[in-house]
Amino acid sequence: MSLLRQRRPVVGTGSGRLLDQEPADAAGVRLREVSKTFSRRRRPGRTALDGVSLDVEPGEFLCLLGPSGCGKSTLLNILAGFVPADSGEVLVGGRPVTGPGPDRGVLFQTPMLFSWLTTWQNVLYGPKARGTLTPQVHEEAERLLETVGLADARDAYPHELSGGMRHRAAFARVLINRPGVLLMDEPFGALDAITRAAMQRFLLELWQQQRMTIVFVTHDVEEATLLGDRVCVLSGPPGGTKAVIDIDLRRPRSYDDTETLEFVNAKRRIREVLER
Amino acid sequence: MTATEVPQAVSAVTGVRPPRRRRSWRRVWMGVLALALTGVVWQIAAVLIGDSVTLPTVPETARTFVKYLSTPYPEVQGKTLVEDALISTGRILAGFVLGTVAGLLLGASMAGVRLVRELADPLIGVMRPLPPIAFIPLLVVWFGIGEVSKVALIFFGVLPVVTIATLGALDAVPAELLHASRSLGASPVYTMLHVRLRAAVPGVITGMRIAMGGAWTSIIAAEMIAATGGVGFLILQAGNYLQTPLIFSGIAEIAVLGFAFDGLLRLLLRLADPTVRR
Repeated sequence: MSLLRQRRPVVGTGSGRLLDQEPADAAGVRLREVSKTFSRRRRPGRTALDGVSLDVEPGEFLCLLGPSGCGKSTLLNILAGFVPADSGEVLVGGRPVTGPGPDRGVLFQTPMLFSWLTTWQNVLYGPKARGTLTPQVHEEAERLLETVGLADARDAYPHELSGGMRHRAAFARVLINRPGVLLMDEPFGALDAITRAAMQRFLLELWQQQRMTIVFVTHDVEEATLLGDRVCVLSGPPGGTKAVIDIDLRRPRSYDDTETLEFVNAKRRIREVLER
Repeated sequence: MTATEVPQAVSAVTGVRPPRRRRSWRRVWMGVLALALTGVVWQIAAVLIGDSVTLPTVPETARTFVKYLSTPYPEVQGKTLVEDALISTGRILAGFVLGTVAGLLLGASMAGVRLVRELADPLIGVMRPLPPIAFIPLLVVWFGIGEVSKVALIFFGVLPVVTIATLGALDAVPAELLHASRSLGASPVYTMLHVRLRAAVPGVITGMRIAMGGAWTSIIAAEMIAATGGVGFLILQAGNYLQTPLIFSGIAEIAVLGFAFDGLLRLLLRLADPTVRR
């Protein structure tokens, strides 16, 4: 883990690297009565989502919290456009979601880098696939790699990177598309505790600068409290919104805040809703 | 960070492995040593036995090998070791290329079209455990003892192996990898070509390596049963006339060719899959 220490990502170090790149327009998210049932052969289908309604403001950091199988990943997949909702309204940036697109950046539980491409080629995958590879994009990719602390690993293949570095490469690969919304599905769930804390800090600093909308799925109360402006607690299964809790802890937050009384109180409020 | 510190820092910070040249040379030398030791044991055994029909000495075998590289055997209507090797290799290549292409197409369509999968799956399941050499008499009845029957034999041996490898490799590509590509803005077709098929390439090449091993088994057997040329035919002829050094020469030739073809496929795998590069 000394890796992360030695070369911290330059986000938030005041160098303002991200600022000379115009920030993407954050998009709002609007869900109304979204339902989804997975059909099973010759048996009644499993209802994953039962009428979920939710609004996410542009630039907001929203955490989706709930027990396993409550449909939070399904909700995220619907937002990403990987699966269609059975009924209800799904709008991102005012437009209905009809399929996957680069306006919504998705980060998975594992980084899902393309193992046959170098870090550099992975980052440029989106622009290349869309045929929008320009010298400006190359410059931006270079800046992004610096931002996520991978400038030295640009020609390394994913298997040569550490776990945290792979996640940061996945961030860069998504951010080059300047998405209005980041959809994150338990992205740090598979990391060890120390790398995970480093990635949370990295994400907070990144968001503090870029202020894109983030929908972050987690089952970790502490993580949700540390990161989110609001925490949407899902009941389930089947999933429905149980409560949306405001986290009014001051920003910018850091890992030290987890030891304050307000933080512990906020955590308790969430836990009470979860156990209700 | 000064410029001189950079290379070291890169490997420390990025975790990028330094090249492992020395280790691969060590492997080469150990391989040579193992071969040399085998030769020594062979030579001792040959000297103790003292009968060149049972076990010829290493120098005698080597002399025979070199001699028949340019001398035809049998002397009338025979072929040199080089010609036999070319004949066998040609058959293998023709059958292997055809079988691989067909296996790729069949495996890919099985992965993509459910009906094809449901129809082809039981056929492949029945065909795969069958040893291809069981079909030699049938192929001779159908196509005679010419080239067609040999190529067909290799083809039917390679086809199921490559098909299953292709299907397995395509099935093993995680859906999330395709989702990642789509959400980065790639079209379904681009994702199919650049992610799904690309991610399956290493698995397909591994299947080709297995198929190549099987192809040599089949072709030698076929040439021993019904042929007028090829390394298998040469070995059988040499055996009929108790020319043991020539038998060993033929076997050594197969070993060299098999090793060379597997080396080519391994090289292909290294090009396609950075995780096996060291």
